[in-house]
Amino acid sequence: MYADQRTIMRNAQLVGVLERLCQGLELNDSQFELAKARYDAVGRWLAGAEEKLIRTVLIYPQGSTAIGTTVKPIGRIEHDVDLVSHVVEPDQLISPAALKSAIGNRLRSNGQYAPILEEMGRCWRINYAGEFHLDITPSIPNPGCPKGGVLVPDKTLKAWTPSNPKGYKTLFLERAKIMPQMRLSKSMGAMDSARSLVEPYPEQVGFKGILPRTVQLSKRHRDIYFQELDPSLAPISIIITTLASRAYEFCARNNVYDSELDLLCDVVRYMPRFMEVDNSSGRYQWFIWNETTELENFAEKWNADPRRANAFYVWHAKLLADLESLTHIEGLDLLTKRLGSAFGSAPATRALDSLVEPVSAARRTGRLTAAPVVGLSTGALASSTAVRANTFHGSDSS
Amino acid sequence: MRIGQRRALTASQQFINLKANALTAGGNGEPRAGAFVWRFEATPSPLSRVYVLRIEYRQGDTPDVYVERPNLKLLAEGRRLPHVYQQDPARLCLYLPRTYEWQPWMRIDNTIVPWAILWLFYFEEWLSSDEWKGGGEHPLESDLPGRRRKRMRFHDQAGAT
Repeated sequence: MYADQRTIMRNAQLVGVLERLCQGLELNDSQFELAKARYDAVGRWLAGAEEKLIRTVLIYPQGSTAIGTTVKPIGRIEHDVDLVSHVVEPDQLISPAALKSAIGNRLRSNGQYAPILEEMGRCWRINYAGEFHLDITPSIPNPGCPKGGVLVPDKTLKAWTPSNPKGYKTLFLERAKIMPQMRLSKSMGAMDSARSLVEPYPEQVGFKGILPRTVQLSKRHRDIYFQELDPSLAPISIIITTLASRAYEFCARNNVYDSELDLLCDVVRYMPRFMEVDNSSGRYQWFIWNETTELENFAEKWNADPRRANAFYVWHAKLLADLESLTHIEGLDLLTKRLGSAFGSAPATRALDSLVEPVSAARRTGRLTAAPVVGLSTGALASSTAVRANTFHGSDSS
Repeated sequence: MRIGQRRALTASQQFINLKANALTAGGNGEPRAGAFVWRFEATPSPLSRVYVLRIEYRQGDTPDVYVERPNLKLLAEGRRLPHVYQQDPARLCLYLPRTYEWQPWMRIDNTIVPWAILWLFYFEEWLSSDEWKGGGEHPLESDLPGRRRKRMRFHDQAGAT
């Protein structure tokens, strides 16, 4: 029972640490509000255009900004905020290049945007140095899509290609809302006493949502993992997000878990099951379909360059091993080290600080207690002993 | 009752309390005349190591706390341990001798033991950050009773080689 109690507490604390780690990596609320104010202003500027085409443009977030899975890029301060500039009623069948340049012209005519506007392959970037950049991709309705999808420029800007940012967001958020089935511990007694321990321990936090956190941790792990290798082979975020959301739906509906951490690991474990692999033609072909529109295969590039598929499998095995190994680590120092190598040392250190600071705060206010098996906590528990004020003696540099 | 008048606990009273407190009850020890050794496992957090600590106490003296396992010196990878009287095996400096933070009428299981657990918590954090976040004070020569002063000087010299 002691062992159970410690395991339950370990898992709960690990979840708290991973949660803090993700909080440190994502666009925070005030950054998000600022980004929203900025893209709303862009929307108003476009709406004030003389050209009817541009006047009807709607701006809305897509991708990680829309679904709450942003991860700070490595090596620069600015977050990516991906936006769609959607023309509701294009007059005629306008070409992607023409629509993009019309939007660019309007943006450039604004003295604020002109100096920080940058042309990218398929989109316009407004670069707010030190904060984020807004990537604005043009889109038009896709009359051929029964799911309400849109068309966006392909990479060459020569043709329209199907996409469905709003449908994708809706599906992702629906899946994220599925309540996983959690098992009450084999030993209810252990669970109950662990609960009473979990509650007072330094502001115990659960995951904001297991699915978004799984996506963020996976994306961050990918960024770190491929940093030293060939980053161009790294699986793109939409692949990770799609596989994780399908795996989460499957796991949450079909399996029962002891802890959120077990669920997190299992979602990652199931990810590869949701891609289709076909080798009937003698060579491997991968398909990770966009479920919200026709004919968008997120793994298209893998079929041109199978090294990408291979890189996915190797990275995925490492991600799973790294997550699973967390449950066996003993030592806050070793945990920091392991989290650092998997997710970057700065966010790992900050996440661990969130375990240390509440202990120091409780100590200062005389609320700290010590209990067998689980150590320090911030509430009075049965079988716990108050930690009275003390002053550590001795030189730390002797 | 004024502080100065409280009666010191006997070594056997301290021993019985260590045996009874859940924090230390899993341990074992040898009571002797006016003294004892108590060995027990302690962990500062569910994500931490489980350490084996040894408390040595002789009535009229101050309790000594050693970390027997794992070897902290090895964990520190060459760095000098902060807030110890002795590096290997580590003997922990848990309170200021010149103040009344610990006095012989106080229960070791309610003071020294939780302080040792707190020390281990900051120790694990120190291992990764190299920064002691548990606060504390540097010793003054006058803080140390003769026996300690000698011992500390000895180990400082040993550590310097």
